[in-house]
Amino acid sequence: MKNAPPFLSQRSVSRRSALLGGLGAALSVPFLSSCAGFDTSGAAAGKGTVGFLSTQFTPVEEKQRYEDVLRKTLNVPVAYNSVDPGVFTSTVQTQTEAGSVRTALLGGLHGELAPLADSLEDVDQILRDLSGSGFTQEVLDLTKVGGTTSKYVPWMQATYVVAVNKKALEWLPGGVDVNDLTYEGFLEWAQAAKQGAGRPVFGMPAGPKGLHHRFYQGFLLPSFTGGQITTFRNSDAVMAWEYMKDLWDATAPASTNFDAMQEPLARGEVLVAWDHVARLVGAPADNPDEWLMVPAPRGPKGRGYMLIVAGVALPKNGLERERAEQAIRGLAEPTTQIETLRSNAFFPVVQTELPTDLAGAIALEAAAVRLQQRSAGALLALPPVGLGPKEGEVSQIFKNCFQEICLNGSAVQPTLDDQAKQLNTILQELKVPCWAPDPVSAGEKCEVA
Amino acid sequence: MTTTRIVDTPPARPAVDEAPLKRQRRNRALLQAACILISLFMLVPIYLISLAALSTRESLNEFPLSLLPTNLSFETLRAFLGSTGIIGAFGNSLIVGLGTLLISALIGVPAGYALARFAFPAKEPYQLFLLFTRALPIVVLSVPLARLFLTVDLYDTTYAVILLHTALALPTTILISASVFLSVPIDVEEAARVFGCTPAGAFLKVVLPMALPGLAAASIFTFVMSWNEVLGASILTLDHRTLPAQVLTSLSDSPLAYRFAGGFALVIPSIIFIAFMRRYLTNMWGSTIR
Repeated sequence: MKNAPPFLSQRSVSRRSALLGGLGAALSVPFLSSCAGFDTSGAAAGKGTVGFLSTQFTPVEEKQRYEDVLRKTLNVPVAYNSVDPGVFTSTVQTQTEAGSVRTALLGGLHGELAPLADSLEDVDQILRDLSGSGFTQEVLDLTKVGGTTSKYVPWMQATYVVAVNKKALEWLPGGVDVNDLTYEGFLEWAQAAKQGAGRPVFGMPAGPKGLHHRFYQGFLLPSFTGGQITTFRNSDAVMAWEYMKDLWDATAPASTNFDAMQEPLARGEVLVAWDHVARLVGAPADNPDEWLMVPAPRGPKGRGYMLIVAGVALPKNGLERERAEQAIRGLAEPTTQIETLRSNAFFPVVQTELPTDLAGAIALEAAAVRLQQRSAGALLALPPVGLGPKEGEVSQIFKNCFQEICLNGSAVQPTLDDQAKQLNTILQELKVPCWAPDPVSAGEKCEVA
Repeated sequence: MTTTRIVDTPPARPAVDEAPLKRQRRNRALLQAACILISLFMLVPIYLISLAALSTRESLNEFPLSLLPTNLSFETLRAFLGSTGIIGAFGNSLIVGLGTLLISALIGVPAGYALARFAFPAKEPYQLFLLFTRALPIVVLSVPLARLFLTVDLYDTTYAVILLHTALALPTTILISASVFLSVPIDVEEAARVFGCTPAGAFLKVVLPMALPGLAAASIFTFVMSWNEVLGASILTLDHRTLPAQVLTSLSDSPLAYRFAGGFALVIPSIIFIAFMRRYLTNMWGSTIR
């Protein structure tokens, strides 16, 4: 640094010319290139490409695989663009408000499409044409999103099951059937495994992006109370949360970092875990013989299970309408549905026989899903219906209960009373009817009893 | 023998107080140690990301993780770079970064010069007001902007993102360049005028070269800000995304191996840019921070 001044003066000319060169280059790159940027979704393939904006299959590999499925099974070119749900909502809303819609097809979970219902075209005609496909009545009811006309066409569905590494079977208590677990048996097993392995080997997706609130909403509470909202703070719910507290004691504490259980399962850090089928499928991918997939446990009021439905919708005044409709019809074809299952572990919404040559992990899941839906006492629960943008807040209330009761050790009843108050504040504002498994009666608004 | 040796030593030597020298040496050693520590603080995460990005997927599941590159593989990185739109998005990010740099320099440097050289009414409130754009969350800004761009047909172009990023970068560009120009003595500019330079000539030939290091620092802020900005870019574009907007959602849901590969791909270009701008930056401490 001591000889900096002469150095500096010698270099100043070349530095200036370097800067000028740099500026020139910078000038030429953005402004001499006639295009307004490079295409990143395949939409530039030409006019007639269906721009498909979706919240599903965001992970790199899933997206690549799904693009292959679309390319193979649809006879229209589709540019698949997967985004974060927040960006999805604001993109659709802004485009509608500005009166300039730049998408042709929208795909999302029921809970993501429902709040956008005003921006979506009615699809009753398409559903009538597809009536032979065998959509179930429950799913068709969902597509009405609280109104009288259908706003989306069912696209695919998923649920949650329990993945079991066969190593954990050695601690399975006598008299407990792994394919017909009860919540009691599940807890005994978790405790025995914790003792046997010297560390907790059961896991929960209780991380920041984990889906553990769905466990309380769709599995634990329905199984113990028979409801989700109306029974939120009754004595059965207290029992359910007391149970959850015990289960948490036998669960790996690192669970608060787990978003998708397939990774800790594949690492062997966790041996038994409940999660979304698409978030479990990676665990047994390499060695399906060492794994089991079993239905979620059943409780005193039945085997509560949650169904996740995704749909495809047409934005009002969207681009390429004709081809987009063609794409929707293509998506409802059994071959497309099966290919989606094969590649990304989302299940068909249409009536179709599953092929026998599914990959190991998916075959395991398919069997578990079927067992779960058809078992005696199966109790269907839906993710909140008609809450729109408030859905996140309702989910947060279930997460808060977990936080308070299991992590902070608060007393159960006061916590539930407290959270019920907040839940009712949200629900009273919305005035929506209840959804399964709570008693559904149109016109009556849902709230915690 | 011993006596002769004592006699040989110059009598002046014991009189020298070596304490300051030792202190200086110790301070230098401490300084070096501190430099090494700070460098490690920056380099270790980059090393770990590179290591994980270039490892096989299986080796990431091993415990404990090896800290040496034993399982080198370009498979994940190749799969990541090969996925749809990554190369295009990379190009878009570059266009947006350089475009933002250019426009914010074209607007911000003259504004900074004016702030540094001229006194005008409401100068202080103006400086404060400049920071106001940064006080608003990007979501609040970008949703109305998206509507505006939709109506004027700029939506889903890199120009839209350049404009947003320029607006976001201007406050820092203006304030940094103002402080840079303040440190260039006004005397040299006047001297240039005395020797026959036009005002523009004096600025270009005398002030600008002296201010260059500081302006380079400002440009690093601008470029890195634009390179890292996700939310605005993902709301303003659909099929022409920048790299972070294209990959961030997908990465947060992807398996660990991809997150590292993506992180690696995102970090490297800005490191290259900073390494390039560093040549101009190193003199900054001499010229601006006195």
